Amino acid sequence: MSNREQRLAWRKTGGVKTLRHELPVTFGALAALGALVAAMSGDSFTLNILASTFLFAGLATAWNVIGGLGGQFSLGHSVFFAIGAFTVSNLYLGLQVSPWLALLPAALLSAVLGVLISWPVFRLRGPFFAIATMAMTEVLLSLSLYFDRFTGGSRGVSIPFRAGLQNMIFRDRLSYALLMLGFLAVCLVVMAAVTRSRLGYSLQAVRDNEDAAAAAGIDVLRTKLAGMAISAALTGMGGVLYIMYVRVADPPTLFSLFDIGVKMALIALIGGIGTIYGPMLGALLIIPLESWLRAELGGSIPGANLIVLGFILMLTALFLRRGIVGGLKRLWSRPGAAKGAGR
Amino acid sequence: MSDQLVVEDLSAGYNDMPVLHDVAFRVPKGAVTAIVGANGAGKTTLLATVAGLIKPSRGRVTFDGRDITGARADALPGLGLALVPEGGRLFPFMTVQENLQLGAYAPNARPHLAARMREVMDAFPILLERRDQHAGKLSGGERQMCAIARALMCRPALLLLDEPSVGLSPLMAERVLEIVTRLAREEGLTVVIVEQRVTEVLEIADEAHILDHGRIARSGTAAQFLADRSIQETYMGL
Repeated sequence: MSNREQRLAWRKTGGVKTLRHELPVTFGALAALGALVAAMSGDSFTLNILASTFLFAGLATAWNVIGGLGGQFSLGHSVFFAIGAFTVSNLYLGLQVSPWLALLPAALLSAVLGVLISWPVFRLRGPFFAIATMAMTEVLLSLSLYFDRFTGGSRGVSIPFRAGLQNMIFRDRLSYALLMLGFLAVCLVVMAAVTRSRLGYSLQAVRDNEDAAAAAGIDVLRTKLAGMAISAALTGMGGVLYIMYVRVADPPTLFSLFDIGVKMALIALIGGIGTIYGPMLGALLIIPLESWLRAELGGSIPGANLIVLGFILMLTALFLRRGIVGGLKRLWSRPGAAKGAGR
Repeated sequence: MSDQLVVEDLSAGYNDMPVLHDVAFRVPKGAVTAIVGANGAGKTTLLATVAGLIKPSRGRVTFDGRDITGARADALPGLGLALVPEGGRLFPFMTVQENLQLGAYAPNARPHLAARMREVMDAFPILLERRDQHAGKLSGGERQMCAIARALMCRPALLLLDEPSVGLSPLMAERVLEIVTRLAREEGLTVVIVEQRVTEVLEIADEAHILDHGRIARSGTAAQFLADRSIQETYMGL
């Protein structure tokens, strides 16, 4: 039986949600965000915030493939983000390759690197895995500073302003907001497809109990590596978009543990880890709030935005264990549960 | 009757801590074989080693004439050997149906997924009622049934059951053991069962082995063990 026939047999049993069940919600959410962008089309400040929000929503969704679905709490995803950024900067500046074309090698390189560096680290579980990914970030940051021919070293890289669609450089903020929305759309569709595929169920099984997953016939290491490859590839693509957006970045910024690696995980945690739309909701809450706090309090109380972020995380840990999505689901099911109890 | 499983001089443990020492026994095809012993005797380690979750330090495991010593756990369901871990170890955030579907993950089980799902639902009607419910919300008995059903999805020839009645009420434990008996007697499934409820499991088993401090202390028919008061007092604390 071919792989395709096996996939069909997997779906034919019924009762199991497939991508077909998810797509209407995914496109509905994207349409709502598109309408928001259209409504704000004259406001550069808001469009800037929306562009960042969509970028981080996409990045957190990418992280969620391995961190949420697979339960591998990586804090080192900034590595793939930086790989994507440096791949495009070298291809664009060195070989005049369009950033659109550079998306593919950036994604591939990130995926390959993701597999290579995860292979030994996946033997570790829980906090040890997270610590190892943090250490990996520091090692690669040092290497990137050493190999300054590719990364610009401590000076970083600078992309000259040559506006044009083929260069992925735009004069207006609206185009960037739409570009990042497109990235979020890709991440959401991939996340929905993975979640409702055999790989997604395998990742969840590995997350819940590795031994039980293996006993059911799931190759645990291969499943984790496949999840990591997808997650890293999407993160690398995010890195491409980021550097074409800001046009100036150095290794400490791109490899930043807190501003990139931890932030992706935090957004997913606050929104709803392991859910398709949780990271998007988390980003819609965190990024605008953070930008507003920085603008309002950044001058008078430096670091106030971090205090508020920490506070939100504490509240989530205390009251919304499964994030915003978990909280919404609980609210949604409450009337039904009450009805059931009354019967 | 030929042997479905042969374990020879098997030693295994966790890192530097040896648990099993030169364990050897045979499991005839179609029989229910009970492994009994006190807490910490190494029963769970034995099943985990046979199922490929722990690499043995020495010895040999042969299943259906094929050497599976040190084989990876995920390769064994495809060969026809399935493990029901202690407590069922269901995937709590997946529905019953999704849990069962993952039981047919082995490539040779996938083509028969729909047919096998129907058979398993027929055998466990309660799971049909609960098919859209999250496994984490099942009762203890339902959870154990779902775990057994998940293992049956790959159409195994040998089922390894680790304490299927743990945490269940006496009535529910009796039902689970009835199901095990039915699978062996009516479907010809070979079963190796590790159980704390010694008397109950000996009543359904054909053969039994007593594991004591990681070694097989006694082997015989279940009837012999049930009849021998001294064995029960010495090894089973009855």
